[in-house]
Amino acid sequence: MKREIPLLISFIAGTLIVISLFVPHPPFNKMEETLNSWYIIVSGFTFILGIDSLLLYNWDKIRRKSKDWPFALTVILSFVVTLVWGIVSGVRTGHIFSTNSTFRNYFYLYIYVPLQATMFAILSFFIASAAYRAFRARSLNATLLLITASIIMLGRVPLGNAVLIPVLWIAVLLIAWVVLLEIKATTSASTRVGYILMLILMVVIAVPLTKFLYGNLSAATDWIMDIPQMAAKRGIMLGLALGGIAVSLRIILGIERSYMS
Amino acid sequence: MNIFESMSKIDRRIIYLILFIVATVPFLFKVEIPMKPTSDVVEAYNFINSLPEGSAVIISADYDASSMPELQPMLTAILRQLFSRNMRVLVMSHWALGVPLAQKAVEEVAREYGKKYGVDYVVLGYRPGLQAVMVSMGKDIPKTFDNVDYKNRPLKDMPVMQGIKNYDDIGVIIGFEAGSVGDFWAQFANARYGARIILGSTAVVAPDLYPYKQAGQIIAVLGGLRAAADYENLVHHKGTATYGMTTQAFVHFLIIAFIILGNIGYIATQRKRRS
Repeated sequence: MKREIPLLISFIAGTLIVISLFVPHPPFNKMEETLNSWYIIVSGFTFILGIDSLLLYNWDKIRRKSKDWPFALTVILSFVVTLVWGIVSGVRTGHIFSTNSTFRNYFYLYIYVPLQATMFAILSFFIASAAYRAFRARSLNATLLLITASIIMLGRVPLGNAVLIPVLWIAVLLIAWVVLLEIKATTSASTRVGYILMLILMVVIAVPLTKFLYGNLSAATDWIMDIPQMAAKRGIMLGLALGGIAVSLRIILGIERSYMS
Repeated sequence: MNIFESMSKIDRRIIYLILFIVATVPFLFKVEIPMKPTSDVVEAYNFINSLPEGSAVIISADYDASSMPELQPMLTAILRQLFSRNMRVLVMSHWALGVPLAQKAVEEVAREYGKKYGVDYVVLGYRPGLQAVMVSMGKDIPKTFDNVDYKNRPLKDMPVMQGIKNYDDIGVIIGFEAGSVGDFWAQFANARYGARIILGSTAVVAPDLYPYKQAGQIIAVLGGLRAAADYENLVHHKGTATYGMTTQAFVHFLIIAFIILGNIGYIATQRKRRS
């Protein structure tokens, strides 16, 4: 019975929600409303599970004096201070985020917000360093990623147009340099001719391309976002949606039971 | 180590230091770069302007402090437009810690425009449940919030809530998204109830929302700090987004400069190794 009852609840609740989408009339619409209210209430209780997990995990680290246990102690102390301050402030002012709540005006706005903002701001340093190391023209795919990322970075900020021309010409010179080095290194005459033709073609294309992008950088950025980016994104979204439907059906029909373990 | 090797292996501490200088100087001196608002921002602005005065607008602050630099100025600018057009503003959040940020912004802007709590705006607060909350709001907004505001004051006594039952009575929902809540607004509030939606998001989240825009499920996507700066420009009230955009532009240029240096060094050293 320990397994059958949850399976039965999942089946009834899941089926009712699906039916109510296609039949939005009594009694199904009322049932859906009730189930939604229950879901909202149950969601609230998930916080208790989270707190239980957080405290037990960190308490266990302190008890066993495992590596970095003072951090675990900091977590528990911070939790207790936040909880007590929040409750006291909430009781005194009617809500923890009331305009006259000390929890909001001191703890939230002057401790929590700056701490979290600082943590996130540090990311910009890591991203700059990672971009410098990762965006290398190691292969054709990496080069395409590098060019696309550069166009987007320039297209999304003011003055991008002004910086575009020097950036493009540096890129062209860089490629030309690689090609010249290849010409110098190769011994085959036909390969050398091929490289020379490539070099001429590149210079011929580079001038109109620069002119086009200079006037249409924003449009080029939009095109990248609207067509190739969106195509990939749609594929991922459709895959996710189909996966979601499959998993939901498996849960409703009792085939997928891992959520009970 | 020759010059090319140095170019391909710049110490990360040097990158951090240069980035720090480039990021802080324009912000400290409030350098401003002229910008032309993007089409999405203009669309959102015009749509809000096309709503009749007194329309109800839901503001959903689905973000927290980590996304504040991008989304808080966007929210503040939009609130200025809403209050200047005497719209009724209903503030809520699907992120528990989004409420106080939105509350702070709405209180500040309401004070500027002489708007009153309960008459011109209300803070409904946070409800867990995400999709269930959205579906429930499609049927009955006050009931979803137990007919009370965030301080348990009855909504039926507030003039701001008069005539509001469900999404049909809402001019537009404006979501400020730092995660996946925007997807659910489109999938549940729009697809199921036909709610009109504008989504402001961090630059990272914006690409996830473009498919909904292209499918006509949302009116506009306001992506990142650029959109916030554009909005400040449209409401003629320059703030942190406008100055932050200069910083962002210079940081982007710096990253591109580092990428070019890295590639010159990489190509030269690779050639040397091969030969």
